[in-house]
Amino acid sequence: MNEIKRKILVCCGTGCLANKSYDVYTGFLDKLKGSDIEVVPEVKATGCNGLCEKGPVVKILPDEISYFKVKSKDVDEIISKTILGGQVIDRLLYFDTKDKKRLVSHKDANFYRHQHKIALRNIGEIDPKDIEDYKAREGYKALQKVLFEMTPDEVISQIEKSNLRGRGGAGFPTGSKWRTCSKYNNDPKYVVCNGDEGDPGAFMDRSIMEGDPNTVIEGMIICGYAINSNRGFLYIRDEYQLARKNMQVAIDSARAHGFLGKNILQTGFDFDLEIVRGGGAFVCGESSALMASIEGHVGEPRAKYIRSVERGLWDKPTVLNNVETWANIPPIILKGPEWFKTIGRDKNSGTKVFSLVGKVKNTGLVEIPMGTSLRELVFDIGGGIIKDRPFKGVQTGGPSGGCIPADYLDISLDFDSLSRIGSMMGSGGVIVMDDTTCMVDLARYYMEFLSEESCGKCTTCREGINTLLNILNRITLGQGKEEDLELLESLSETIKEASLCGLGKTAPNPVMTTLKYFRNEYLDHIVNKRCPAGVCKNLTSYSIEEEVCIGCGACAKKCPVGAISGEVKKPHFIDRDKCIKCGSCFSVCPSGAVKIGGGLIESYSK
Amino acid sequence: MKVIVNNKVYQGIPGETLMELAKRYRISIPNLCHKDGMEGQGRCRLCMVEVKEGSKTRIVSSCVYPIKDGLEVMTDSDKIRAIRKNIILLLLLKTPNNDYIKSLAEEYGVRAPERYMDSSLQENCILCGLCVKACEKLGTSAISLVNRGTSKKVSTPYDDPSKDCIGCGACADVCPTKAIRMTDENGIRRIWNKDFKLVRCSVCGKAYTTEEALKFIESKLGDEEERICEGCRKKNIGVRFKESYKNYF
Repeated sequence: MNEIKRKILVCCGTGCLANKSYDVYTGFLDKLKGSDIEVVPEVKATGCNGLCEKGPVVKILPDEISYFKVKSKDVDEIISKTILGGQVIDRLLYFDTKDKKRLVSHKDANFYRHQHKIALRNIGEIDPKDIEDYKAREGYKALQKVLFEMTPDEVISQIEKSNLRGRGGAGFPTGSKWRTCSKYNNDPKYVVCNGDEGDPGAFMDRSIMEGDPNTVIEGMIICGYAINSNRGFLYIRDEYQLARKNMQVAIDSARAHGFLGKNILQTGFDFDLEIVRGGGAFVCGESSALMASIEGHVGEPRAKYIRSVERGLWDKPTVLNNVETWANIPPIILKGPEWFKTIGRDKNSGTKVFSLVGKVKNTGLVEIPMGTSLRELVFDIGGGIIKDRPFKGVQTGGPSGGCIPADYLDISLDFDSLSRIGSMMGSGGVIVMDDTTCMVDLARYYMEFLSEESCGKCTTCREGINTLLNILNRITLGQGKEEDLELLESLSETIKEASLCGLGKTAPNPVMTTLKYFRNEYLDHIVNKRCPAGVCKNLTSYSIEEEVCIGCGACAKKCPVGAISGEVKKPHFIDRDKCIKCGSCFSVCPSGAVKIGGGLIESYSK
Repeated sequence: MKVIVNNKVYQGIPGETLMELAKRYRISIPNLCHKDGMEGQGRCRLCMVEVKEGSKTRIVSSCVYPIKDGLEVMTDSDKIRAIRKNIILLLLLKTPNNDYIKSLAEEYGVRAPERYMDSSLQENCILCGLCVKACEKLGTSAISLVNRGTSKKVSTPYDDPSKDCIGCGACADVCPTKAIRMTDENGIRRIWNKDFKLVRCSVCGKAYTTEEALKFIESKLGDEEERICEGCRKKNIGVRFKESYKNYF
């Protein structure tokens, strides 16, 4: 018997789509079409739920049952058992690794329980292509409040009072940006959304654009009204095809509903939006390069001694905010700045979305109040380190961010605390590292990324990063010298001081912070020719400790080149001439008998 | 508008950049990507100076930094000297065989650590962008900066001979490191993978420009150009000048 009108929400974010969630969605539609079920449930394709690793995700409302890793063959069972019978299918439930039990609603999981959703409030709950869904959840109410009850000045004051800071990375106060821009009378003015999310591992903006495009649009219209602008641009990176598609659908329906275009809601206010497809360069996430790209020029930044709020797009006053910032605007207008300030801490109101990735048990998008500790993020929400290995540190803020060692586990995650220790919030990427991550190699990886992604305009960034990369390459190959560390520091300082834009100014952060917090690891590479994490192959050798080895033979089985031999229940040995240093034996050994040693010093006489 | 540079007061003109002011007063600020008559680019970073902002100082590039009243500038602080040396070091590592950069390194006492020098590198371009600017100012825009990061370079579209290039050689002329190859041989100029027929001066017979460049100038002026080289043109003007004023002397 099904007397309740149920809702089936199928996640159709990029991660779930890749795991064939669309087949699950159409599976439900097909099965329910023409069926003799009394109360036919509503089926919705929603945006990303954040726990992509466990997708496709299907949620049943109002029961609040969440199923994970759902396949199209599960559709029949879900309809017959859950929709018709109200039963829970145990094997599809979320398994909480910390409490070691299955949970009916994902909202009870540690991963979700600590979260506070503002920017992501609608994602996973609505169909991003249906404006009615958005409207049913207070969508466009903030716009109506602004247009009918508030003056532009009042709107800006509310944003100022909320202490909202730009979520794109630098944390500039949004209200004061709007205020300054509103004071210039050099028309036309522009409103721009930065959707060129480029940090490796960060995908919160993508998730918002794909899963709740209308909130971005509403935020931008409100800004247009506040600063007296009639035109906006959404710069969305080339790779985000679904985001562009959903955003375009949302723009068209907002226009059809009279929220965009001429004479919005008969108030006489005009505002329209268009999408600009990004050029595919990381540097185009930098505001002035982004604007150059919209104008049709090469995506190179310019010196910002005159701010873009005064002279931005086509030299006209421009407000540029990132996707997540825009998503915060409607709730602030509706609930007021005082409410917003109760979340987060002092000058860091509200929440921040982090993308938690790396060597942590639960990965995905996490929206938490600012000021939450790193420990809570990694151990409570993230469930700790994979295989419970020792925690070494995190890299925040993507390639321009810094690395934070384990000593700072109790640091508060907010703009000011992070920059105080040489890292930065950036877009909110958090990459968790354990003892098998080499910090020299980490710095080298980011320099490699940035040397390719620097626009190449200014000498310090282009040549500087490349030189840092060369030095780091030599260190990881075992050719480093102690004086290299001074050169790394001195060049990093110059790149930071003398580069033209934010990319260059922050590029040396991974080098500077690893040098500051993990200097001994650099020295290990240079002096002892040893990579303690076993990552730099030239500086690694593996051996089996006789006393510890239980002779299980797992390593010998796993070794791809047959370099390990030994009798059962007796200590095994590694033939160094055959060993290719892949580390398989190290990761498979149940007793911790495989030890990482240094490279052979004789081969590094150069 | 008063601007204080190295503790001396100078008169600034509203709207000018720090570099423009420095050039007017012959205050030395090293630079590679700035040229009079072109707006600053902020590429080479050699013109970094320290300016006072409240109780703090800030490092800015003088070729794009707009002056304001009461601005205090230091062009030769310890910090600035260290930055300049490192920038020259970076350029030296990139173009170890370029005479201009080598002399700059010598002037500033910069020596690159032996193990990072690859003396086999034949690169001369430091990507200052002056050639691209000159080509753009001329109205041809035949070359531009292409690619990004370490593979950035100056080139014609797809490295093909450009239909817009007129072979005027302005790019090679403004290049501080003589990185652009231009050869004039047997009546043919070769530049950017394209051959141009050279035009001879009707007076002295020297090959001085290309057909395409002359046509371009004519199309801009709407008048036929005299086929005469710069040297002879100057000489002619001298003669005319002498003629006009001969009664006064």
